[in-house]
Formats: sequence, structure tokens, C-alpha cells
Amino acid sequence: MKKTLLSILLGFCISIGKLSAQDILPKDSSEWINFLQIQNQIPGLGYQLVFPPSLDSLEVQTLKLDLTKSDSGWVSGIREDFSLLAQVESDRVNFKLLYFIFSSQNSEEAVREYISNLMRNGDFDPVTQKVKPKEDLVALAVKSPYAPVFGNRYTFTADLKLFVVTLIIGFFFITALLMIISMLILKARKNRREILKKEYEEMIVDPLTNLLFEKELEELSKMKKADYDPFFPLNYLSKPLYQDVLIHSIIGLNKKMKGEFKEKLKAIYHQLGLDKVSAAKIRKSKWHIVSEGLVEINEMDLVECLQDVKKLSDSSNFHVRSLAVSALLNLSEKSDLSFLRDQTYPLSDWQQMNYLRIIKFVSAQKQLKIEMLFDSKNKSIRIFGIKLVRILGRVDLLERLASIASQASTEEKIEILKAYQEIGAHMEVDFINQCLQEEDLELVEQAIETAKSLGDENSVILLSELFQNTDDFSTQLLILKSIYELDKGKFDEMTLNKEDSSRLKIRNHVLDPKLVYV
Amino acid sequence: MKKILIIEDDLLISSLVQFRLKKDGYETHLVKDGNEGIKAIDTLNPDLIITDVMMPFRSGIEIIHHAKKSQPHTPIIVLSSLGEEEQVVLEAFNLGVADFVPKPFNPNELAIRVKRALS
Repeated sequence: MKKTLLSILLGFCISIGKLSAQDILPKDSSEWINFLQIQNQIPGLGYQLVFPPSLDSLEVQTLKLDLTKSDSGWVSGIREDFSLLAQVESDRVNFKLLYFIFSSQNSEEAVREYISNLMRNGDFDPVTQKVKPKEDLVALAVKSPYAPVFGNRYTFTADLKLFVVTLIIGFFFITALLMIISMLILKARKNRREILKKEYEEMIVDPLTNLLFEKELEELSKMKKADYDPFFPLNYLSKPLYQDVLIHSIIGLNKKMKGEFKEKLKAIYHQLGLDKVSAAKIRKSKWHIVSEGLVEINEMDLVECLQDVKKLSDSSNFHVRSLAVSALLNLSEKSDLSFLRDQTYPLSDWQQMNYLRIIKFVSAQKQLKIEMLFDSKNKSIRIFGIKLVRILGRVDLLERLASIASQASTEEKIEILKAYQEIGAHMEVDFINQCLQEEDLELVEQAIETAKSLGDENSVILLSELFQNTDDFSTQLLILKSIYELDKGKFDEMTLNKEDSSRLKIRNHVLDPKLVYV
Repeated sequence: MKKILIIEDDLLISSLVQFRLKKDGYETHLVKDGNEGIKAIDTLNPDLIITDVMMPFRSGIEIIHHAKKSQPHTPIIVLSSLGEEEQVVLEAFNLGVADFVPKPFNPNELAIRVKRALS
């Protein structure tokens, strides 16, 4: 089917080709001769002229065609230049043409077919009309204005590929150039900023030193912003970079100084209005600027910003959240930990360590309401609260701890047991015994550990039962250590006169003073 | 007038210390890094050296080593932050420094320690 279609298509194309080629060739004999004359030469095609025998010798000489006499009349040699036909026609002599295709004689029909093939294959492009400049060339030239570049004006845009490639290269080149220029501008700006920064740093040193040593704290607190003009010119103070350098210098110095110098630095900070700059920073959207502001508020004790800081204590950004809580712990007057209780994000170990450091420092000055943390919906905060009871030794919170113990999760129970053990909460032995019967191994191990110092006779019974039910060596060792501390008789009973050699090994281990902590 | 060499990379701290010691009538010289510090010890021949531990090019420990070799009788006070390794502080004392002032510090307190070291 496909083959048939292809052959039809091929035949159709060929026939169209034939038609178009043969259409150019004239049908009429005189036009045909004209056509041949115009062509001058056609590759591979030759001809002979045959004149009637009636032609006399004078006429033969006039034609100058080097004719020879034959039976059919006067015959010329084989020629290829068809322009000769014009001369022959002008002499008004009758003649006949014999055609030769590659030296073999053929009919006019075959010649037509041959020329059509040549044309179709592109081997021959016929001249359709002989150019005969009958008109004045100068007059013709005047009609068409001379425009030498018009012809090539659209050549570049007409070649789409070349145009697109040039456009892309141009785009990259311009982009690279713009980037280099912007980098140079930024670098120059940065250098200028660094130079200015150094200049400001040097400008600040002497006035700050003078103020710290020459003025008393009271004097500094009473000085208005305008009074500071001789030290820190007001026109400079309005510049953000100068403000930045001054803030960094004061904060840096505050970290390295102690005593009255710290208070003097805070007074200068307030009186110069830098506290407002710090307060504005924590309202910015960029987290690193907010963090900077929080550090400044924390260092300079800017209590008036606490409301804004509190909003940031539950920020989605880890650094902002940590710094906000640190600032609140440091500056909060009411010892209120509600901002920590309401945190929705889990506390990381790093945050716990950081907050603990501050809380330990702050708790010496004020009694923090740690119990607030037990009401948090955030488990990590509740656990942190229990840890604080243990680390700060808050005996007053044991009762509160006992009230939440029954509802607590396994991790919280473990922390509660650690707190009981650390503080020595003997009254909570029932809870310890209850934990000894739990299924979670980690909780049970902590309960065994706690029972060692806080357990009673019930604990010994529970521990013995637990020992019978476990095959794990380390758990057995832990249990026997606890039993040894609680009831030595029971320990002897469990470890002596037994065939089980592992019990004897544990006994030796427990009784060896060198292995107490192993 | 007693000559005191202050080797400290923090411009503000060194200026504060210099200001306070000048008030007490000492001749003070300020250098910003370890290399300059070692050169200044040899050229100035100071009566007392106050040095930081963490500094560019040469550490305070290297400066103490050098000072103890070239001027073994010049007292040295180390001014450094508490956060630094305990080992560094112990090493400084083993090398024979006169005193150690931890940061944060009070310049007035430092002035008293300087007076004591020079007496």
C-alpha cells in the first residue's frame, strides 16, 4: 500500500516536473528555432544544416558554412553554436535541421525531451528572452535611484540564527560588563566604608575615654544629648555608620569592663539616644539586624524594650528566639517565665545550656517562677523545667513535681526521678516503686538507680522480682547494686550459695571498692 | 618616670588603660600586635609590661617568653579574658608573670595592681 502511494507520488512529481519544463519549450517551429538561437549553446546538443540541392554554388559560397554536397542536398558539419541560425535565417534560404545528442542523430521530439531533462536536473537554465537594450541605458538608470547598501540592509536580521546567537552573546557580554561594574562599585563602596569606619573608631576613642574617666555617673546621666556635642558631634551622630561604630564600641567595652564603668557606658548609651536605634533594630524584618538589636538590648539593659522582645521569644528563627529568651531572662524584673512556657518550638540542647547559664546567674538575685514551665504545652519546656528543679536544687518545688508526676510522659518521669535522687526526696518512694513496675526499660533503669538511695523494703521486693525476670547482665548488676545499698542481707541471700556463677561475679564486682563507679 | 609597655590589639581597651596609667604619672607606650610588642621590649626597655594573650602575629605567651629571656626582671601583667584556656593562664604563671587580670576588668583595679608590681 505504502509502495503504491509512493510510486503515485513520485509519478506525480515527475509529471509536474515534465510539465513545467516542457511548458517553457515552444511548440511552434519558428519559435522553436528562435528559442535555440537565444540559447547559443545547449550542453551535449549539436546540429547539422541541410540545404536543398537546388542551391547554386554562389549561394553556397555566400553562406560561408563550408557545405558539402550529398544526395539529400548541401550539408554542413556538426555545429553546437545555435546563434548561426540567425545568420542563415537572414539570408532567406530554406533549410532543415538534423539534431545530434552526444554525436548521435535524434529527432526533434527526442531533443525536446533531452532539453526538458537537462532543465529538470538543473543542468541547463534556458534564457527566456534575449536582452536587447533598445532604450537609452542612462535614461533607465535615472529611473532607478542609486542605493548601494539598500540591498544588504536586512541581510543580518533576515538570518535568524545569526541574529539570535549575536543577541545571546551580546546579552552575556553586557551582563558580565554590568556585573563587573557593579562589583567594582560595591568594592569601592565597601573600601570607603571601611576607611570611614576606622576613621570613626579613632575619633570615638578619646572622647569615650575622657568621658569615662573625667565624668561621674551622675554627671553623665544628667547630660543632655546636646551636652555630648563636644565629644560626639551631633552632625556625626545622625549618620548611621557613625551610630553603628559608636554602638559597637560601647557594647564591646561594656563586655570587657566592670564596676562603675559599665554603668557609665549605659548612661552614655541612653543619653545619646542609641537605645532608640537598638529598639528600632528589633522591628526590622532581617533576622541578623534583629539579633544585633537583641544583643544590644541585653547588654545595655534596655528594659523598656521588653514588650517587643517578648514577641520575639516565639520567633520562627532559632537565633532570634534564643537571643530574645536570653534577653528576657536577663532583664525580666518580675521573674516571670511565661514567655518560655508559651514557646511552641522545641528547645535544643544548645538553647537549654544557654538558658541554664543565664537562669543560674539570675536565680541568685531573684526567685524565678520555674513551676510555670510545668504547665507548658511544649514537652521540651516541661522537661527543661524539671531539669531546673534538679540543677537549682529547688526543694520547694518537689510537691508541685509530685502533683504532675502521675500524668507525666516517660521522658518527664525519668527527669523527675533524677530530680528526686539529686534532691533526696524520700517521701516520693511510692512513685519510684511505681516506676520500677513500668515497661519502659530506660525508665525502669532510672528507677533502679533512684531506688538505690531512696528506696524502702517494698523497693527491695520489687527489685528482687525484677532481678528474677531479667537476663540482661548490666540490668542485673544495677539491681544488685541497689539491693546491696538497701538491704545487705537480701544481697547476700541473692548472691551467695548459688550455682549461678554470674551472680558471684556481680557480687565480687559490687563489693570491690575499686569498681564502685564501674 | 616609670615606663610601661602596653601590648593590646583592642584600641579602646589599650587607650583606656593608657589614659588611666598616665593619670598616675607613668610613661606609657602602646603597641597593637605581638611583633611590634617584641620589638618594643628590646628597644624601649620598659619597667613593666602589660600584655593581652590572644593577639595577631605573636601570642602573649611568646611575648612573655621573649621578655623573660631579654629582661628577666621586668614584671609582666597579663590582661586577658576569662574564657581563655586555663592551660594558657597556668603557662603564663609558670613563666613568671607578676599578675593576671581577667576581662571584664576595672581600670582602677589594674592601676592598683600596676603600682604593686612596680613597688
